[in-house]
Amino acid sequence: MSGAVTAASDCRSVRALHRVTLKDRKAIGSAYHVLTFESAEPIVASAGQFAMVRSETWGSAPLLPRPMSLLSAGKDPSILIKVVGEGTRRMAASAPGEPYQLLAPLGKSWSKIPAATRPVFVAGGVGVAPLLLLAEELASAGGPKPLVLYGGRTAHDLPLLDQLRAVSDVRIATEDGSAGTKGRVTVLLSAALDEVGVHNQLAKVYTCGPHAMMAAVAAMCEGRVPCEVSVETPMGCGYGVCLGCPVPKVSGGFLYACTEGPCLDATVIDWGHRKAGA
Amino acid sequence: MSVDLAVDVGSLRLKNPVLTASGTFGYALEYDDFFDVSVLGGICTKGLSILPRAGNNPDRIAETSAGMLNAIGLANVGVEAFCTEKLPNLRARGVTVIANIFATTVPDFVALAERLDREEGVAAVELNVSCPNVDKGGIEFGVDPVAAGRVTAAVRKATKLPVWVKMSPEAGDLKGVGIACQEAGADALTAINTIRGLSIDVRTWRPRIFNKTGGLSGPAIKPIALRMVWELSRAVKIPVIGIGGIATAEDAIEMMLAGATAVQVGTASFVDPLASKKVLDGLGAYCAERNIAARDLIGRFIQT
Repeated sequence: MSGAVTAASDCRSVRALHRVTLKDRKAIGSAYHVLTFESAEPIVASAGQFAMVRSETWGSAPLLPRPMSLLSAGKDPSILIKVVGEGTRRMAASAPGEPYQLLAPLGKSWSKIPAATRPVFVAGGVGVAPLLLLAEELASAGGPKPLVLYGGRTAHDLPLLDQLRAVSDVRIATEDGSAGTKGRVTVLLSAALDEVGVHNQLAKVYTCGPHAMMAAVAAMCEGRVPCEVSVETPMGCGYGVCLGCPVPKVSGGFLYACTEGPCLDATVIDWGHRKAGA
Repeated sequence: MSVDLAVDVGSLRLKNPVLTASGTFGYALEYDDFFDVSVLGGICTKGLSILPRAGNNPDRIAETSAGMLNAIGLANVGVEAFCTEKLPNLRARGVTVIANIFATTVPDFVALAERLDREEGVAAVELNVSCPNVDKGGIEFGVDPVAAGRVTAAVRKATKLPVWVKMSPEAGDLKGVGIACQEAGADALTAINTIRGLSIDVRTWRPRIFNKTGGLSGPAIKPIALRMVWELSRAVKIPVIGIGGIATAEDAIEMMLAGATAVQVGTASFVDPLASKKVLDGLGAYCAERNIAARDLIGRFIQT
């Protein structure tokens, strides 16, 4: 349905339910954790794709698996979580050896970065995960080094900053000024777009983070540079049957984040649409 | 090991009693990556309307204690696209297809049934007279014995296919609605649809889903569904198909003991796309171990 989006990966691997074991959980500050699993079968995925993650210890509650962008794939797939509710609270308390199920890989990955284009990433909080994986894919493929604009409320809301620095040029903004430029990450984007304009470079923006941040980024890019977003919505199944993850389209109707996203051209999305709980 | 899992839902023989619930299994083609859905007793399609429907605004779902609320708004491709794009593929796979249909008027229910009657590969129609999530139609038919009987009778005349009617747990007189459908020629009753619920975000003081209320499903509703299937199956002579919170073979067995002739697995498919297959495998193992046929479980709940 969304002709504007093309999956980066030509070798689409078959989605499957993988029974895995938690190998390692690393806490980053008080709210963030990286969970690394051990999977007998390698999960073949591209940056931007996600997994539905559920501990087999949950029983009937929490009930639904949680959609999480893949931070890495292969035989030791990992995710970055922020504790926001019961599911992530349980994940943050789980210990190595705990059995999990990962339904993966799901959704469409980031689209290819066009030739001679400067990739500009705008990341907010846990939204850094699919962008870090994309930066790592670019680095290993000898692609262009992305400029990453990374924002958070405080210096504690910038997980995986060191890993990000290893594969990209990073600029930081925090709302309280505890690290980098004081203010929102969109201030950095404004400057970055001016710079690439001055250097007559082509740029493409990839963004993942809170809804309000991505809406602001999409608005700044519109008519100026292409922008792709990885949307986050409540999700029931992750594979296209519950229809619980609609994303309103500008042209009317909906796209489904799980099968047509999560990576979408920002211009197809109706950003003004009010969310129920917002 | 030859275990007999076949059950008869009226004139329709199912190879086993495990079906999947409408609205939780798409059009079944979504499962190609996971398993061969033709092994199931059957699949109930997403509710089909005459015209395609986009569905409700987000958010449409919210998790609650051991369950979830949904107000999808019957998003579907429309009956025509179903017949031309989905059904041929289901036929090719040998899937037993129960077409779930939704309309706001009796003539539209009739038109849907007539359209499906012309197609090869539809085993039965299931009337959704119990959707709690749309502005108009559906549930009004399902909570009133007279209205439920009227729509059932009209569809009965319009098709040779078996007619199943999906019951609303919100009917004050569930048995009365069931009997009215039976008198009007229904071949089976499906019980229960979701139960309307509400969830509020305490950070924003707003409802967690756009529609405000949504249908509650999942393990949380299983005891209610079980009680209703038990009562309904004793009140009517036609088969009752049990649905509500079935996630494991034990849940399915419990539902059959309560009086269900077959069961539908719903929300559990979101948790695990292989849930219905696992329920079937578990049921087969249980029957084999006890050397019984699946039909021997129906209504055998010991009440003394």
